[in-house]
Amino acid sequence: MNTITAPAIEYLQLAPLLIVFGAGILGVLVEAFAPRYLRRAMHIPLTLLSLAGAFALVIVQTIKGVPTKPSAMGAVAVDGPTLFIWGTILVLAFISLLLLNDEDHFVPAASAVPGSAEEERALIEGNVHTEVYPLALFAIGGMLLFPASNDLLIMFVALEVMSLPLYLLCGLARRRRLLSQESAMKYFLLGAFSSAFFLYGTALLYGYAGSVDLAKISTALSANVGQDALLFTGAALLGVGLLFKIGAAPFQAWKPDVYQGAPTPVTALMASGTLVAAFGALLRVFWVAIGELDWDWSPIMWGVAILTMVVGAILAITQTDIKRMLAYSSIAHAGFLLVGVVAIGDAKQNATALAAILFYLAVYGIASIGAFAIVTMVRDAGGEAWHLSRWAGLGKRSPKLAGLFAFFLLAFAGIPLTSGFFGKYAVFQAAVAGGAVQLVVVGVVASAVAAFFYVRVIVLMFFNDPAPDGPTVVLPSWGTASVVGFAALATVVLGVFPQPVLDLAQSAAGSLFVR
Amino acid sequence: MGETVTFWVLAVASVAAALGLVFSRKAVYSALMLGVVMLSLAVLYAVQDAPFLAAVQIIVYTGAVMMLFLFVLMLVGVDSSDSLVETLRGQRFWAFLAGLGFAVLLALGFGNVVFAAPTGLAAVNQAGNVPSLAEAIFTRYVFAFEVTSALLITAALGAMVLAHRERAEAKATQKDLSRARFVAFGETGANPASLPGPGTYARHNAIDMPALLPDGSISQLSVNRHLARHTEELLEERSGELDASETPVAEITEGENSK
Repeated sequence: MNTITAPAIEYLQLAPLLIVFGAGILGVLVEAFAPRYLRRAMHIPLTLLSLAGAFALVIVQTIKGVPTKPSAMGAVAVDGPTLFIWGTILVLAFISLLLLNDEDHFVPAASAVPGSAEEERALIEGNVHTEVYPLALFAIGGMLLFPASNDLLIMFVALEVMSLPLYLLCGLARRRRLLSQESAMKYFLLGAFSSAFFLYGTALLYGYAGSVDLAKISTALSANVGQDALLFTGAALLGVGLLFKIGAAPFQAWKPDVYQGAPTPVTALMASGTLVAAFGALLRVFWVAIGELDWDWSPIMWGVAILTMVVGAILAITQTDIKRMLAYSSIAHAGFLLVGVVAIGDAKQNATALAAILFYLAVYGIASIGAFAIVTMVRDAGGEAWHLSRWAGLGKRSPKLAGLFAFFLLAFAGIPLTSGFFGKYAVFQAAVAGGAVQLVVVGVVASAVAAFFYVRVIVLMFFNDPAPDGPTVVLPSWGTASVVGFAALATVVLGVFPQPVLDLAQSAAGSLFVR
Repeated sequence: MGETVTFWVLAVASVAAALGLVFSRKAVYSALMLGVVMLSLAVLYAVQDAPFLAAVQIIVYTGAVMMLFLFVLMLVGVDSSDSLVETLRGQRFWAFLAGLGFAVLLALGFGNVVFAAPTGLAAVNQAGNVPSLAEAIFTRYVFAFEVTSALLITAALGAMVLAHRERAEAKATQKDLSRARFVAFGETGANPASLPGPGTYARHNAIDMPALLPDGSISQLSVNRHLARHTEELLEERSGELDASETPVAEITEGENSK
């Protein structure tokens, strides 16, 4: 009888993950056993404390020193970039959850047919789906695991753990429910399709390298000959799965529909957390596993980056729905970030580009949560005032709110004295150093086009007359107010004094991804 | 040699079944085709020296998942069909073209790959197929294995959120239902008795055969309207007979037959 030696799991290194998943499971137990009136009161501290605790553990780990080899038998790589990404995701998730915490974003009874008497009744009785808290925690856990996964198998599991709760949460909007359900369905079907591509790519790379381990795939590149078709097809299919998640250009179709239909706090979580996580995973696959192949994949990545920037910036101009416009803006930003992915070179160049991408992800995530938080506050009788024309003259009615929104838009556009400027500057600078000058030119032009539609919204808000029956600005709850306040503060501070976070990103990126 | 023969036989069978799965208009046929695909996969696994995987494929997928799938189909109703209207014009043509291009690309690409003879299987399987698999799952891949639980919890929770209905009021008892039926009888004359059962004929006793009422007329109420494919022909047949015997056909409607 042979014995199996127990696996060595570095529990402390994995503690942030374990805390978030553990809190999710506790949340499910609360759903099962706590009386209805107590559930929300139990979920809020549980969720927020677990995220704060996980963030504290990330800091502890950073101070203790960055591990130099993968944890959990080589499944999870807790390295410098991972710790930075974890910290970013946890902060973004915390403020998204403050937003999600507000009442009346979610449907009172998801099983009731939209517009039915049953729905009406659930609304009057004040039913709430408190399941959104554990679902959000599972999604956040998946987001943490996705960029940290060191082999393709766990990366796939993390992809699903991240996506499945999001598919569900997208379909739970309280208003415009058919649109919300349609968005959930679309996201689910397209997400499943992209997962299939990811899996097929994984299988082909396994066939090529004999391992799903990223480092082993990297070493197989020089050893295997005559199987290039497997390698290239596998890498391309894997790329399809990952580019779908970040919403890069040929695979961007889901983003506007899903961002529009999902409840706005969930949109905020997706626009920030998912983007950060997916970029982390994309970088890990393309830089670690097939980093030696950059001569082969970077022309394609060039094309994807250009297409993404152009499609995002140009289609955003034609939008009339505020959330769709922000979705296309998110696509354009994914394109700007891809410019950094292409800027691969020697170790020093890689560290510069990685630091730039990490900084960009952090500042863009915070600003986009702030913008979506403001979208939740401008209300019509039927919910959020989604049509852009309803935003006309908002600056005259509530100048503070419109001013903050204009500020976030300027940060998206990358105007100096906002955090977005330094994000873009860092990424473009890294790309120039990496020899992608033409790409940077396209990026700057796309930024200018993007700035046009941001400024158009600002003009609409401040220089148009408000409609007599215009939308009302609700008094924000403490949660929403603190989200907007924090996002605005972070955008200003990082726009004036970005050095500490830039330094942090540089030291995180300095060690590069472990192999 | 045996492996090659098995592969080609199953390849044809499973691809044909997969195509049938996609193109079949009836959901039940699709489900059965899926079963064929899964069974073929199980045999392929067995041929590839993966006996555990083959057994799991049959037990879990073909046995449990497929049966659950059929149950759901039956519960939802075999008659419910999806709208097949093409909302994007020409989408199927372009999708077909893109799919074909993708298949050709893969076939041409993989046709050129030179595979070395597989090595290392014997070494891995030294302790036996199942123990080796167990070791891989519980050591190297233990974290992925554990994290999958989050996926399962999410799926269960999601099904509850989307499908579970809270009962807002107490369930109507048999007494309440009976009372309501007689109130309806008083108001509209609707039949308070239970509906007639499906009929038994000398030639057929199928569930889709409508019953005869005491006056010789056919009760359409006696069969599920989705199953009632014989009603029309029977009506014709019966009306011929009845014409011959010159007995009037009582058009039975709900409520009238209670007199």
